Amino acid sequence: MISHAPKIAGSVAAALLVLFPLVYSAGNYDFVMHLWITAFYYAILASSWALLAGYGGQFSFAHLAFMALGAYGAGILDNYVFLTSLPTGTCTEFGLLGTNIVFLPPAGTGDAGACLTAARATWPEGATVSRFPLLLQIAFGAIVGGGAGWLIGTLVLRLRAAYLALFTVGLSEILRAVLSAEIWLTRGQAGMPMSPLFPEGITILGTTYGPAAKLPAYYVMLALFFATLSLLLWVARSRIGLFLRSLREDEDAAEALGVDTVKWKRAVFVLTAAIAATAGAVQGHYVGLITPNTLVLLQMSLVIAMAVIGGLENLVAAAIGAILISFALEFLRTDFTILGLEVDMTTWRLVFFGLLLMLTLRFLRNGVIQGALMWIERRGVGAETVAKRRAAEEAK
Amino acid sequence: MDHPGFFSLAILWMVLWGAIGGAVIHRAYLARDLDVTAARTVGVAVGAATGPFGLVPLYLRTPTLTRAWQALPWIGVVTVFLFAFRASDPDNVCFTSGTFVTSQLVNGLIMGTIYGLMALGLALIFSIIGIVSFSHGEFYMIGGMVVYYMTEVWAPGLGPIAAVIAACAVTFGIGAAFERAFFTPIYAGKVERPNEYAILVTFGLAFFLQYLVQGLSGANPVKASPFFELPRSEWPAGAPIIETTRSNIKLFDMISISTPRLTAAILSVVMLLALIWFLYNTWTGRALRATAQDRQAAAVAGINPGRMNMLAFGLGCMLAGLAGAVLVQAFSWLPQTGAIPALRAFVIIVLGGLGSLPGAFIGGLILGLVEAAGAGCVPDPTRAAAYLPAYGMIILTLVLLLRPQGLFGRKV
Repeated sequence: MISHAPKIAGSVAAALLVLFPLVYSAGNYDFVMHLWITAFYYAILASSWALLAGYGGQFSFAHLAFMALGAYGAGILDNYVFLTSLPTGTCTEFGLLGTNIVFLPPAGTGDAGACLTAARATWPEGATVSRFPLLLQIAFGAIVGGGAGWLIGTLVLRLRAAYLALFTVGLSEILRAVLSAEIWLTRGQAGMPMSPLFPEGITILGTTYGPAAKLPAYYVMLALFFATLSLLLWVARSRIGLFLRSLREDEDAAEALGVDTVKWKRAVFVLTAAIAATAGAVQGHYVGLITPNTLVLLQMSLVIAMAVIGGLENLVAAAIGAILISFALEFLRTDFTILGLEVDMTTWRLVFFGLLLMLTLRFLRNGVIQGALMWIERRGVGAETVAKRRAAEEAK
Repeated sequence: MDHPGFFSLAILWMVLWGAIGGAVIHRAYLARDLDVTAARTVGVAVGAATGPFGLVPLYLRTPTLTRAWQALPWIGVVTVFLFAFRASDPDNVCFTSGTFVTSQLVNGLIMGTIYGLMALGLALIFSIIGIVSFSHGEFYMIGGMVVYYMTEVWAPGLGPIAAVIAACAVTFGIGAAFERAFFTPIYAGKVERPNEYAILVTFGLAFFLQYLVQGLSGANPVKASPFFELPRSEWPAGAPIIETTRSNIKLFDMISISTPRLTAAILSVVMLLALIWFLYNTWTGRALRATAQDRQAAAVAGINPGRMNMLAFGLGCMLAGLAGAVLVQAFSWLPQTGAIPALRAFVIIVLGGLGSLPGAFIGGLILGLVEAAGAGCVPDPTRAAAYLPAYGMIILTLVLLLRPQGLFGRKV
């Protein structure tokens, strides 16, 4: 019988994740919370990349570019667009449903916010100025990312394997160059500041948490993680998942059998890009700063390593792999001295993961976590089947 | 730039008519039941170069698209682009100073030779094994690192040539060993999707090597001293045709070339000639080319394809290492140095046609010229430098959209 242990363990683990911030109370609370939030962020990226690469067979290296587009999309709204109750008269603005949407000139093109500051000085008491609503910012980020996904999905329709990989690597390098060079808009390498997830703090069940508190951010990221995983699993298990796998196995054969390859290829790009962009926007708000360095190839390598070591063709395994590896990366930071040589672990841990990635690909093609899950699930199934057959033969 | 608006309009005009041309001409040829293989590309070029004035006759006459038809409109596109650029930015140094332009041209060709050498390695690997190596940049970096350590730390007495040979040996060894350890399952048919497996596993190798080098040598940039230093001289004295200083050569008082780059280019050309000699005049070289042309026929003729795979991957990595080894004296070197050259090599092999060796070299020269033009002519110098990798990417995008088989490639 197929063991249900992994599924039961999964549900228990999900429940524990929900309870964790409430029961955990050690001194390094904030640090551990931060690790979990980062782990969820990577898990979202790795599992959505696993859908794109493992199911759709599209080995795109632009996943973090979509993430960055989402983050910068939200960041630009956060920094340059404000809602006011009174018209300023001097800024670029237009009225909508009783509020004014004010567009500030970007930082590099003059004194940012000067027109708003000047107008505020003349306003009567009680006039309000607020940032663009957070949810709309994140939604905008997701739309920007999804739109870019559509565009890239369209551009790479004719490209296979190596061409696709080359094209997407180059594309994310270009995006990084643009984000670093267009200082007037993005502030370049210095990074773009972003307001926290809950700028005024939030009260949950009578406890008030400040803007820097980790618990609300933890639940936001956890909710996003669960929502993403459910959506991805639903897609993977529906007919769409079959279409995607047919794309991966043989595009021409799939097309001959009536699968609209163009549509589904585009769709999987849009979906995974929008997910990555949402994660980027939320993470940007949580960290409070976005820089072009989130786009370096190392970050993409990490996401790929997580998905591959977890298991490319199993979204849950990819997510578990991401969580385990992002914790391992953090705990392997401590330098140590061996035989008089000081080992700089911030570098050597990455050497270790590179090696692990190569060895996993070479010897455990299904990934470590997925392999383990399959082994637990199917342990004894072979013997059981043999026994059943033998019993059936004897009964004859 | 004096008239940025005019320039944007001109580009928009070209893109618009190019897009229209690509769609309409393709349809015209399709409707008249003619050969459509080149119709789209020619339509784009004619549209971008001449707008409606060329498209309408082309649409009405639909001539047979010969090679001249495929090449000439592109020259027109470049000319129109240059005129638009000149009209919108008349004071640009690229139009006012002939000296500067010649200098940039020569430097572009010199860098292009070295780019070509590196891309040749990637093309060699692709032509034999059929995969694109994502660790190419790391072999470039390792080649440079070996030369740095040989000339500056381990054996300064041996001289740069010995160091370059050592770099070749190291990169060949790593490449060949990696191929034996990780690619054999592909040939045995044990990998479900060999292309993707190869991409990921070479990507893993890149990751591993980059941080291994960082762990061993530290994250600080290193700089090797130039291989050769010239005495200060003039020839003929008075009105010099060749004027040399320690690290610079000046020709006709206008073309300035830095010596490290020149020695790098000369070494590259020598190595390239050696490689061509090897490929065309030795049994092993012929066997390599035979395997690239037809694997099964080569195997029937008694060539061990497995051995050729190892040799091709080793040689390809060695060429990348060689490019790094000769360039380490011109730039400062970091464990991350390989990323941009690797990207460049990708652009070049796609431009030249995946797997085409002459294409890789000519693609290298083209990219060298384009980058020199980009670095020299784009107004705003800080932006020009930041966007240096982007020029190649624009070429890549255009090639992938318009002619995915590249300049010299077989149809994909």
